[in-house]
Amino acid sequence: MISIQNVSKHYGAFQVLTDCSTEVKKGEVIVVCGPSGSGKSTLIKCVNGLEPFQSGTISVDGISVGDPKTDLPRLRSRVGMVFQHFELFPHMSITDNLTIAQIKVLGRGRDAATDKGLKLLDRVGLKAHADKFPGQLSGGQQQRVAIARALAMDPICMLFDEPTSALDPEMINEVLDVMVELAHEGMTMMCVTHEMGFAKKVANRILFMDKGQIVEDDDKDSFFGNPRSERARQFLAKILTH
Amino acid sequence: MYEFDWSSIPGALPFLWEGMKVSLGITACAVLFGIAWGTLLAMARLSALKPLAWLAAGYVNLFRAIPLVMVLLWFFLIVPQVLRGFFNLDPNTDVRLASALVGFALFEAAYYSEIIRAGIQSVPKGQISAASALGMSYAQAMRLVVLPQAFRNMVPLLLTQAIVLFQDTSLVYVSALADFFGAAYKVGDRDGRLVELLLFAGAVYFLICFAASQAVRHYQKKLNAHVAH
Repeated sequence: MISIQNVSKHYGAFQVLTDCSTEVKKGEVIVVCGPSGSGKSTLIKCVNGLEPFQSGTISVDGISVGDPKTDLPRLRSRVGMVFQHFELFPHMSITDNLTIAQIKVLGRGRDAATDKGLKLLDRVGLKAHADKFPGQLSGGQQQRVAIARALAMDPICMLFDEPTSALDPEMINEVLDVMVELAHEGMTMMCVTHEMGFAKKVANRILFMDKGQIVEDDDKDSFFGNPRSERARQFLAKILTH
Repeated sequence: MYEFDWSSIPGALPFLWEGMKVSLGITACAVLFGIAWGTLLAMARLSALKPLAWLAAGYVNLFRAIPLVMVLLWFFLIVPQVLRGFFNLDPNTDVRLASALVGFALFEAAYYSEIIRAGIQSVPKGQISAASALGMSYAQAMRLVVLPQAFRNMVPLLLTQAIVLFQDTSLVYVSALADFFGAAYKVGDRDGRLVELLLFAGAVYFLICFAASQAVRHYQKKLNAHVAH
């Protein structure tokens, strides 16, 4: 589904990604973790072309992201993305947030789009908030709306860029619950997150990144049981002690 | 001691009102065209296409570095010839209003574009990312997501600029166009009551601009309360 081959990226002289390669198969859930500044958010943003990269290839469902001939907006409309800071559109109601791209990008009718949006809003447990504005919802609620907004496009896979790191602790679980449910339904997911409980529960594989490189690409049992690299061991020791 | 004599004002009110309509009309047109053209300039200036950004920056810097009254004079002297040649107009057609409008709009666009550029930049970058991630083109992201938020943040500044512009319209007196100031001047000149008429005109400008800026302040408070909420 997602194939990343020898991807490198630099800002001027600063190397952000070095020779990153991995594969995500249909229905797989991949968790990307690593210390801050390790390039994990940059890598996931390369997958839908939000960040350009200088060498290597990324293809999603057989379509090359880096190819200048690729219709990027069309490709992105099929790849859902959830951001750290939710990025709901604050000047639109929740319903409009859920329908605007369905109508303007996919060309769906307003009724069909509203129907679909409200169904998904119900699924994330927020049907009562359809007519509110994003500023009236809590962070956890906004992030659940953001997930529903991405799902409304019927994506073939979902990218999560630290979806819970901007949330108060008591709101993290409501978002993770939605993500776990998605994973169980067979959605292909690539998640940048530090939530190791989530990783243990649903991930098929863990990518561990450090200094722009993919240091480990393991199935979760061997990653948590016996990480091969010293850096991953140190990282796990730091985040799992408490 | 100078003796004030206000008696020529009541009779001149209809004429002064005609002048006020010209002032308000120029203001409204210059605001509308200034915002439209200013939005395009702002987007050009933020564009990834460097030559386009440079052209827009050059335009803005040029108009911001020369006095408005000179721009108006140039347009007063040049635009009528161009318009007459272009549309094959009768040499006696009065194109002073058109040339004043064009001059104001082009001049104000430079100021509006800077306000609008700041407004666009005040919208978090993540909003463009989110719109792009949903498959919107750059144009759609700008039109549906960024500009509506940018304009909402900018309304107080745009209105304040409109108030400044309303005062600046008095500069069309260089083209002998009878705007409110020009009308007051004419009446005062005719009746030998220039001081009274100009004091009266000043009071009217003050009342309108002060009331408008209070209204803007009130609106801004409401806006801030809404955002904080």
